[in-house]
Amino acid sequence: MERAVEIKNLVKRYEDEPVLQKLDLEIPPGTIFGLIGPNGAGKSTLIGVLTGLLSFEEGEISIHGMVLEPKNELEIKKLIAAVLQPPLLFEQFSSLEFIEYVCEIYEVEKEGLIEKAYSLMDYFDIKDFAKIKVNKLSAGSRKKLAFVTSVLVEPKLLLLDEPFEAVDVISIERMKNVIRRLKSRGVTIIITSHILEVVENLCDDIAILHNGHIKAYLDSVSRKELQKDSSLHEIFEKYVEVEQKDAIVDWI
Amino acid sequence: MFYRLLTLNWRIYISNLNRFQLLLTIGYILFLGIMLVNLAGTAIVVVMMDSNPWMSMELPWLTPDIYSFILLVFANVFWVMHFSFTNMRLLNIEENRKLLGFGFPLKRLAKYLTIIGFCHPVNIIYNFTWLVFLLIQVDYAFQVPVAISAVALNYVMIYSIKHRFIQVVEKRFIAVVVGFLILVFVLFQMVSLFASNSTRIFAELIPRVETVNAFLSWAPGGMLIQTVTEYYGWMNAGIIFLFTSLLVGLIIIDHFNKTKEGLLNPGLKKAEEESSSLWKVLRKVLGRNAGKYYFYVMKHPYNRLQVLTLTVIPIVYVPLLMNVDFEIAQTILIPTILAGIPVALLAMGMANMYGYENREFLLHLQFPINIEKQLKERFLGVIILPLLVFYLITIFELLVIPEIGSPLEIFIANTFFFLMFMLLFVWSSYFQYKKATYSSFSYKHPIIPQKVTFAISFLIFSMGYFVFVPLNGLEWYRLTIMSTVIVVMGIYLWRHMDVLVNLFRNRVLMRLWNEL
Repeated sequence: MERAVEIKNLVKRYEDEPVLQKLDLEIPPGTIFGLIGPNGAGKSTLIGVLTGLLSFEEGEISIHGMVLEPKNELEIKKLIAAVLQPPLLFEQFSSLEFIEYVCEIYEVEKEGLIEKAYSLMDYFDIKDFAKIKVNKLSAGSRKKLAFVTSVLVEPKLLLLDEPFEAVDVISIERMKNVIRRLKSRGVTIIITSHILEVVENLCDDIAILHNGHIKAYLDSVSRKELQKDSSLHEIFEKYVEVEQKDAIVDWI
Repeated sequence: MFYRLLTLNWRIYISNLNRFQLLLTIGYILFLGIMLVNLAGTAIVVVMMDSNPWMSMELPWLTPDIYSFILLVFANVFWVMHFSFTNMRLLNIEENRKLLGFGFPLKRLAKYLTIIGFCHPVNIIYNFTWLVFLLIQVDYAFQVPVAISAVALNYVMIYSIKHRFIQVVEKRFIAVVVGFLILVFVLFQMVSLFASNSTRIFAELIPRVETVNAFLSWAPGGMLIQTVTEYYGWMNAGIIFLFTSLLVGLIIIDHFNKTKEGLLNPGLKKAEEESSSLWKVLRKVLGRNAGKYYFYVMKHPYNRLQVLTLTVIPIVYVPLLMNVDFEIAQTILIPTILAGIPVALLAMGMANMYGYENREFLLHLQFPINIEKQLKERFLGVIILPLLVFYLITIFELLVIPEIGSPLEIFIANTFFFLMFMLLFVWSSYFQYKKATYSSFSYKHPIIPQKVTFAISFLIFSMGYFVFVPLNGLEWYRLTIMSTVIVVMGIYLWRHMDVLVNLFRNRVLMRLWNEL
């Protein structure tokens, strides 16, 4: 079966310091995939590599059967949309201008685009900011704008790096709702997050990334088995080998 | 603690400089020294001119009234200069406000920053010159404290007015530009009238000089002179001193409050709906990529001021020089100023290419769009606008001031001028991209620094003499040499654009990504 994402032996270094080490990962299409791991595990780097913002030294990445290489680059990028942390937006544009600009690059059908944009902005309570400059938006609104834009470009693979950070509770629920709807339309969604409860409830498959390796891949079957006796938090602690350090701050 | 804050701000400043910029800074300090000597020296000459026997022999028309007139004109012109050049470069509030998070007391921080903000070297030079100018005219001891407090009041008022003026310029840019252009045009008409009829005007002015003096003495510069020329006694001096000191104190407190407010609310701006027809126009004219780039360049307030300056300089100087009965001025200075405009625009565009929008440009790497195509479009966009201005200026010269040369001469000279500087900027780009480090056109800062503007202006005028000075019989040799060099430069530039694009992609973008 064709995988939405297939990564083989991926190596990424920052100035000779390996961040992703011989990483292997396969994500089936139409899955909500959660990527969790401690700070510095390489989650954002992996998202950066998948978006094309970062190059990689070794390995192979395939997106929907197409190998990521210069000749396929543009075709692959057309399938992907991303919300990064912090969201990279065009500061001097208004929210609507930003949406229009990005959609034009993705060659999204112009007819009905503005109406769709307004309805999504309305859903996330940022409609009033449609003509406000991006650099005047709050952190939460910026995140929501990036999310709205990534949905409007109609991707087949949606990459969300810490999508719920700085976003209010109501909007988090609405984001989850949109993510589920996208899944039902066959879109694959990769989410990185530190909020384990959200990942646990929202994602079908979960991978634990630590020191540039996938330490555990929990699909729906193995999750059921493992989570009989322990919570995701406990599983996470086990795989990242959390050191007990409470004693060293006993002086507080 | 004040010392530590000073060190911190000094480090923030120095950490953004490379060796080359450090050298430029030393040059700038030397320039400030020369400026101080020139200003203070001119002030002394003006004040002393009536007491010098040689002057009274050489200038028999220098009656006390005319002398007062010269003194008042100098003081008021100097005041206008002081107002124009008072440096408002604010301290890095974003960096300094971080200290609040580490427990630095707000009031103390605001107080120290206010003090440091007032002590810019250029501003100190102007105030020092005022003191020299006024104190050498002092007749009585009581005038000294009054003069000093008046200089202080003058400075804090200028500072305060300018601070607000900058905010107004940012908010109402188009209205200010139009208003300023009208003002400059009217001023130019007056100066032009004066220049062409100076003998008649001067003859008519002399009998009325007393009235003119009475008016000038109540202009800002005149009022400062009055502090050292009038006799008002110790009692009045005390009252004036206390009153001016009180005003100085109040304005400083106001500024202190503003700094405090700025530290607590760095982005305190009401979000308003903004229409950006400029973006729509640029997108249509230059395309999506180059259009976005230029839109960003033109949105920056400093760049807007640079464009304003580029517009004002020819409007003021070209007609003025055309009215001056001095042939060299017309044949060299006018074409140099005009040829310098597209060069300055090109510098502005290319300097901005090193930064400002690059961080956002990175975002495009995730989009389905070819980066080489984008980069080429941007480089072309940077060239197209100055090139358009270049052609407009050449046509203007051919139609309006044909006396500066034949059409062929004008066209070749302007092309040579433009390509020469373009090559300079491309070389500069090449080396900076190769190093991917800070440069005189730092890619972290969106504007051309004052030092670079100064160096480029110097180069433009030096080149002007080389390109436009009349050679009469040898003109054809120069035209042949320039045409050959134009062809060579054209081929060189055409062949090296790809190198620039690749370096930009492989070095600068990677560096920027690491800084994200």
